[in-house]
This record gives sequence, C-alpha cells and structure tokens, in this order.
Amino acid sequence: MRADYLPLAGGLAFVEQHGGGTAPPVLCLHTAGQSGVQWRHVAPALAARGYRVIVPDLPGHGRSEPAPGGPVTDLGVYADWCLQLIARLGLERPAVVGCSIGGKIALDVAVRAPDRLAAVVAMAADAHTGGRPSVRGLRRELADVAAPSRTDRTYLGTLAVVGSDVPRERAELIATMHRREDPAVSTSDLLGWATHDLRGQLPTITCPAHIVVGDDDLWLDVARVREAAASIPGARCTVLEGIGHYPMEEIADFDAVLDGWLTELAGPPAVTAVTA
Amino acid sequence: MADRWFEDFVVGERWTSAPRVVTDDDLADFTRVSGDDHPLHAGPGAILQGPFGVAVAMGLLQGLDIHGDAVLGLLDTHWAYRRPVRVGDELTLEVTIVRARRTSSGDRGVVTRAMSLVNQLRETVQEGTTAAMIAARSAGPDPVGRAFGTVGWAEALTDKADLADELASWDGAIGLRSGDDEVHVRIYRGRVVEVARRSPRGATFTLGADAATWLELVEAPDNPFMRLAMAGRFTVTGDGYEYLRLTSALHRLADAAREIA
Repeated sequence: MRADYLPLAGGLAFVEQHGGGTAPPVLCLHTAGQSGVQWRHVAPALAARGYRVIVPDLPGHGRSEPAPGGPVTDLGVYADWCLQLIARLGLERPAVVGCSIGGKIALDVAVRAPDRLAAVVAMAADAHTGGRPSVRGLRRELADVAAPSRTDRTYLGTLAVVGSDVPRERAELIATMHRREDPAVSTSDLLGWATHDLRGQLPTITCPAHIVVGDDDLWLDVARVREAAASIPGARCTVLEGIGHYPMEEIADFDAVLDGWLTELAGPPAVTAVTA
Repeated sequence: MADRWFEDFVVGERWTSAPRVVTDDDLADFTRVSGDDHPLHAGPGAILQGPFGVAVAMGLLQGLDIHGDAVLGLLDTHWAYRRPVRVGDELTLEVTIVRARRTSSGDRGVVTRAMSLVNQLRETVQEGTTAAMIAARSAGPDPVGRAFGTVGWAEALTDKADLADELASWDGAIGLRSGDDEVHVRIYRGRVVEVARRSPRGATFTLGADAATWLELVEAPDNPFMRLAMAGRFTVTGDGYEYLRLTSALHRLADAAREIA
C-alpha cells in the first residue's frame, strides 16, 4: 500500500493506493463523516484479487484537509472532486464503489461521466431520500454541533443500523470507530444526503450499474432503492439479508463479494439491455 | 370454558386464532345489521364495513377459549383500519397481552390485549387494543417486571440500573410513559431521590410509547432502544435537549428494563 497527500481542489487529499498500476482501478468511497478506514480490510484483499484499489478520504474527513469553502453540503461537490482525483491519478475507466453518501456520490460520478467509468456500485443509497433526515433538524444540529451526547448517539445509532447477521464484536468495533467524526462535517454530509436529488438523472447512466441495500438498513427503504435501480438502464439490484447500512464493514469477506459484482458488471450486459 | 382469572394473564402471552374466510353472506348480513349500504360495500370488489373486522376479531378472540366466567365486561376498543377486507379474504387474529393492572378494589383487574387481524398475505388489515375487566383469584401482589410505566416497575428498574456515573452531574426528573401510565424518576447528582406518579415540578422530559412497544423493547434479542427511537416508535415530550443528553443513560435503563422483565 502507498499513501499520498495529493494537492487537489484547493487542499491536500489523503489517498491510499493498493495493488498494481496496470490492474483495473476501483475507487472506494466512504460514508458520511467517516473516512477510508472503513475500507481497511477490503482494500488490500481486493488488490490481492487483481485490482488497483484507490481509497481517498473526502475533503474534511480522516486525514484530508478541509474543503476550502468549509464543510460540504452538496454531494455534487464531492462527485466533482472524485472526477478530479480520477484525472489526477490518470485512472483509466475505474469502477466507482461507495456506501451511503459515498454510494450517492458514486451515482453522481456515473451521471457526470458514464463513458469514463467501467462500472458503478452504489450501496445503501437511493435517488432521493424524500427529505429524510429532516433538513431543519440537521440545520439546528449544525448550529449546535456540540448537541448533547453526539458521540453516544453516533455509537448507538450505528449499532442500530448494523445488520442482524453481524457478530456483536464486529458491530461494536464498527460503532466505536464511527465515533471518530467531526460533527460539523458529518452533519453537513447528511444535509447533502437529504437534499441531493438524482431522480431525473439516473436514467442517463450508461455504464454498468449495481445498486445494493441491506434489508436491516433502517435508513433506506428497500422499495425506493429498487425504484432507483429500475430507473438506470440495465442496472442490477441486490438486497443483502441480515446486513445493514455498512456492507463493506459488516461482511467479513466483502472483497470476494465485491469482486463477484465487478466481474459480473464487466461481463456481457444484461439481456434486457441487449434487446432494448 | 377456560377458567382463567386476572392473575393468569401474563404480559407477553400470545395466541393465534384459526383462520376465518370472509363470505358473500358476511357482506350481506353485515350490511343488513349495520344499515351501512354505502356503494363501497356493494358490487364487485366490495369492501367490508370496517367494524366487520372488529366483530370478527371479537369472535375469533372468543374462539381462543381463554376468557371464561371470570370476565366481568369489555371496557374499551381502540382500533385502526389499515387495509380493506374483501369477500374471500382469510382472516387470522393474533392476540398479545400487553397490560394487566389490578384495580384499587383488589378483587379484579384490567387486562389489555393488543390484537391484529391478519389476512392470507400476512398483511395486518386491522389492529388495536381492547381491555376487559377480569375477576381476580387472590388479592395480589402482582409482578412488576412488565408493569411498564408504574411506580413499582420504575423502582425495580432504578434498583437494577446503576446510573451514578452516567448522571453524576444531572438534576431533573425522567418521565417514562407506557400508554396512559406515567411514572417520574427524580434524580439528583446520580442518585434516585424519588419514584412517583408525578414529581412536584413535572418531568424534565418524558419518554413514551404504547405498551406493545415496551413489550418489544424487553423481548427483542438485542436491546432495540435506538432502533425503536430512530423509527419514531418512542416519542419524547418536554426538554428534547436533556433527552438527547441522556441517550446513553436511557439505553442503560432499557437494558435494565430487559433484565427485570
């Protein structure tokens, strides 16, 4: 693994790279308020399976410097930042994989540059949340980022959306690590999540797409996720049983699962897409 | 006929009835009896009158043979209509005891049953609660572990939960409400100074839910407090800021509620 601080969009971006330069690139995006550490087990294992894995910390997250304009409330800014990163690293037709806001950012990248991607895998994301969580509530929370027991609520709230199939110890570790967040940044991320509406643009995605949601994910409505998938030509949709909001952290051999999806997406297009 | 007294109904006890198919005659008879002949209740695809479901639920309840001579009367029915019922549907009743409370006279008690009418697709078509007055065999005392929202329950709860560190800097009263039953736990610097129906200056905030939700809280395999709270199954009145501040203490109280249940 190598890690670099790359000058990007007015700040230093912390970016991990695993695996060989000629292998098919996969860009992995983290969830709201978190960092690339969510991919720490998946990235090296996926690289060992023959991919070049790139894991950035989005601006203001983990070890990346803040965005020049302060915490980002528009997921489109992150999507543009990802495209700049892809160009900066000279990635040829990467697959973009993300979870939660990362999933929605991945979809937005696919909307902006479908011809430059090999595939998009969006987990725990839909086209539009319908205004949940409440924008008013989030703004209030942003005005008082020391809102009481923030870290307890992050910890217990994470435990509440981890899937029922995940062993207790793994769930505890996920929730404990999620306490490491900047509340101003994660609340801004959630504002972006609640307001970003891709419903009109998803049909323009032409690269292979796979939408994934855990059936224990309290934050997503499986029906809405299916709708989002149905609006992308030829997209696949998977509902993971017993899994919650963080598949890459919850599933022990997620590298194998993701490898399977990427292999499938690289194969011949779905029959419906051929006859369409 | 079953000979079940007030003491024989335990919160969390469940029954499922045999299925009952809705027939053309049901629709005709219920239209005649009720006089409700709105066009919705006629023709192809007719929807049965809502109270038909209540009537069927009561019949299926009786068919479970759990209520005998000790029943003194039906007290109330709180009901919601979720989906239409049509001829040909196969209805099943699911019953859970969610509250059993002795009256002040001591020789009888109110037993509240949460009931769901479920169709052949496993969809809940109607649901609610009904309470009945049931004669008691003895004079008590009754178990407090599932008497959510009562003083005895909250005393057992605070005996079990060690909140001394968690609430070391706190001064206030936590209200806990199950249905209409509310209890206030007055806390000063981590010490419980009073458990009462009402503390003199009221609760700082009150955490409330229906009895079925409290039952789910204590019966789920893992403490589901945050999941239920995030899903809006618990409501909070009063000082929301202090409620958030006590998130972790409330999670511990939920742990204690599960232990004493």
